Amino acid sequence: MSTLLKVVDLKKYFPVRGGMFHRVVAHVKAVDGVSFELEKGRTLGLVGESGCGKSTLGRAVLRLHEPTSGQIILNGDDLMKLDREALTAHRRQMQIIFQDPYASLSPRRTIAQTIQEPLDVHKIGTPREREKKVEELLDVVGLRKQVLSRYPHEFSGGQRQRIGIARSLALNPNFIVADEPVSALDVSVQSQVLNLIARLQREHGISFLFISHDLAVIQHVSDDVGVMYLGRLVELASAEDLYREPRHPYTKALMSAIPVPDPKKKSKRIILGGDVPSPMDPPPGCPFHTRCPDAMPHCKKAVPPRVNVGTEDRPHFVDCHLFTEEAAT
Amino acid sequence: MSSEHTAPLLSVRNLVVEFSTRYGPVRAVDDISFDVYPNETVGIVGESGCGKTVTGLTLLQLIPMPPGRIVQGSIKFDGRDLTKLSEKEMQEMRGSDISMIFQEPMTALNPVFSVGNQMIDVLRRHKNLTRRQARELAINMLDTVGIPAPRKRIDEYPHQMSGGMRQRVMIAMALSCGPKLLIADEPTTALDVTTQAQVMEQIVKLQDEFHMSMILVTHDLGVVAESCDRAIVMYCGNIIETAAIDDLFHKPQHPYTRGLLDSIPRIREERVAELPIIRGIVPDLLHLPDGCRFADRCPRATDECRKDKPVVNIDPVTGNGVACYHPMG
Amino acid sequence: MSSVAPEQVADQAVVDDGAAHRESIWAKAVYKLRRDRLGMIGLGVVLLYFVVAIGVWLGIWATEWGDVEGPKWAPMSAEYWFGTNIIGQDIFARAIYSTKTAFEVGLVVAVLSTIIGALLGALAGFFSGTWIDEIILWLKGVLDSIPFYLFVAAVAFALTGNPYAMHIAMVSTFWTTTGRLVRGEVIKLKNFEFVEAARAIGVPQVVIIFRHILPNTFHILLVQATIVFVAAIKSEVILSFLGLGVQDGVSWGLMIAESTQEVLAGFFNNFVWASVFLFGLVMAFNMFSDALQDALDPRKVASE
Repeated sequence: MSTLLKVVDLKKYFPVRGGMFHRVVAHVKAVDGVSFELEKGRTLGLVGESGCGKSTLGRAVLRLHEPTSGQIILNGDDLMKLDREALTAHRRQMQIIFQDPYASLSPRRTIAQTIQEPLDVHKIGTPREREKKVEELLDVVGLRKQVLSRYPHEFSGGQRQRIGIARSLALNPNFIVADEPVSALDVSVQSQVLNLIARLQREHGISFLFISHDLAVIQHVSDDVGVMYLGRLVELASAEDLYREPRHPYTKALMSAIPVPDPKKKSKRIILGGDVPSPMDPPPGCPFHTRCPDAMPHCKKAVPPRVNVGTEDRPHFVDCHLFTEEAAT
Repeated sequence: MSSEHTAPLLSVRNLVVEFSTRYGPVRAVDDISFDVYPNETVGIVGESGCGKTVTGLTLLQLIPMPPGRIVQGSIKFDGRDLTKLSEKEMQEMRGSDISMIFQEPMTALNPVFSVGNQMIDVLRRHKNLTRRQARELAINMLDTVGIPAPRKRIDEYPHQMSGGMRQRVMIAMALSCGPKLLIADEPTTALDVTTQAQVMEQIVKLQDEFHMSMILVTHDLGVVAESCDRAIVMYCGNIIETAAIDDLFHKPQHPYTRGLLDSIPRIREERVAELPIIRGIVPDLLHLPDGCRFADRCPRATDECRKDKPVVNIDPVTGNGVACYHPMG
Repeated sequence: MSSVAPEQVADQAVVDDGAAHRESIWAKAVYKLRRDRLGMIGLGVVLLYFVVAIGVWLGIWATEWGDVEGPKWAPMSAEYWFGTNIIGQDIFARAIYSTKTAFEVGLVVAVLSTIIGALLGALAGFFSGTWIDEIILWLKGVLDSIPFYLFVAAVAFALTGNPYAMHIAMVSTFWTTTGRLVRGEVIKLKNFEFVEAARAIGVPQVVIIFRHILPNTFHILLVQATIVFVAAIKSEVILSFLGLGVQDGVSWGLMIAESTQEVLAGFFNNFVWASVFLFGLVMAFNMFSDALQDALDPRKVASE
């Protein structure tokens, strides 16, 4: 397997302005030094609660939000070093699927116009070929040709999400960021769309960065899983390992908090105290220490390093002092 | 179960709620009957548009009229028919005998008054208390729902609190007059998983303490499994199944309930290639089929199902019932 | 490409007839507008005026508006329906002809200031917080801070002899409100995911503004255009009265201006009929404009 995407120490700070002259008075550290790799044809699931920076990370990787610093290497090119023109050319390889199917389609454009736009922008094929491609794409996402001349408001959430997926596939990308693609949908429609995404990944070999707050959804589509808290990745491992044995206290709490649809299996909850601290003023040391049931004095002082608790071939990374030597002593 | 011995606290019979739209009347709730017994928690589940929220709002006469209208049916609470009460009598009922909490605590709280002021208002409206007594009681309530430093937080404004905090305040407010019935409409949907767990735990604990009955309106079967005694499944304005919680989850009788249970994304031992789905989409309330409303999506549907609509037959022993000609074994 | 799984076919079947009642805000707006009694009456009256104006423009009627054909201050009669003015011109013909003048001024000013307001507002909104936004806001601030009639007088003097001095003055001040509203809407729209989607595809910024954002401000532009239309007609009357307005031809404002001597002498026909014509159009247009605003208000439309 070869690496498709490598992200190194990516940061995205949003300035907070205030005072008399609109000076920058603080920064919201939405993404605060995230590194990971994504291999060709695999899916990295990114899970975390609202405000943890997962959506910002997804957009920063595509440079839809200009990152503050870091490296984004896609197919060997550092996206951060590209000028606007070169970046536009690179957009053919990378696409995004959005959360809100009601906001992600241009309300005044027909479905045909929406799906064909990427082909028009990048001047791919003749007009006839583009039309044919659009019809193919509809077939892939399971919609009929008749929808082409209609407008988004005529469709249900699940159908709109399929249209959005068709648009993102138009340029044959090899990397797609899926930002909470099913969280706005009803349960029965959710699984239809998840199956579609899983099938696309299998059949087209597309790599996904799949963002969700729902660990169950993440499990269904992901090969590897990263857990985010306050702008940082706190645990990163293969899906199998992470779900079998979560190591970071936050991941454990997150897992136990999911309501289980079975009245006989009352889960043993790890109830976290308090609230997530503000990303404008994250706590010193480990960002999770204010709510961590296993926090040690050391956690308040030093940011935990990334530790591999797995093997060389099957790494399982945790950013936690419980697994470092100096804290143990 | 207490159901065989005591009289129900709430008894809904043949309730029909209609909304007039420019395309004609739409029956959001179509001929539903159910009972809620003292100290019981009943879940009303279904996907968006099934009528579960309208049902909850109608109990308190909170639907906008017009365009809404109670066409027929009775809502007996503690011996009185709520549909026959005047608006003034209903106002006395709301917040004192029956309380409601909503999905979005931010919009349910008035942003320009402090939390304390709003709580004191509610208390003094229903109880003969001085301002000081009401304030003490409010502080007590905030403490009961698990808000740290209630004496300090009572003077804060809604925007100064996190989502979880605000929902706790809403709960404190709803319970402050000691209601006999609490209607909770998606109380944790807007919250993060870990906060969700905290808040749900609190609600269940308080329900015990206050000896109330509760109607939990939600789309999340996981939440129902963990906190309800009995559940009602709604589809397109009808009740299609009602059963004790263990029976519903282990021996679902209606194919829709079955499909819903199967398609919930849940954490599994092994990753599966295809998630089970319910094919098709929910029919439009304006163009409902004559027979069973689920027939078009149902794997077991026959001609009989398409001709006549099945009704719920309640088993007098178990209290379970299903509206289906071909229930699952 | 792969084939479709069977469960999706069932899904497709519903696409064709399902959700047919989910209509665009335009369909809803038309429906609401048609049920608005006052609004429809207003629209009817406006259309009547419009037909009159078209007739004048085509030279079908009121061609004799400039002829001195009767005696001075003739009373209302079968020959001179509204009487004649101080030099014996037919007041009826002049009032009818002035309808065309009013529409001309209203349309030119409404269309131009809406276009300018939309463009500058969209630019400011899309680039909000940058120097482009700063410059546009500054320009708007400057124009708004000069008293309107002073500004028009200045433009009229600067462009002496130019028949469009009045139009230029109005357009350059009336676009600011439209611009402000469009800017606000664009700031809202540019954070929508469909705009991000366009950026992710690589659509150039200018195309994003024109193809994806501006079409969604159309309801604001339409309502603003009707408001500006009325404002322009009213301003024309006052400016013409002050001698800064219409240079050739006749307008209700000019009629009222020339009626001052007549009123002093006790002859009210010129003044009254010009005022009635003006009042009718402004009133009807306002009624229509209010109804349109109600029908297109997204909050009200959404609650249906």
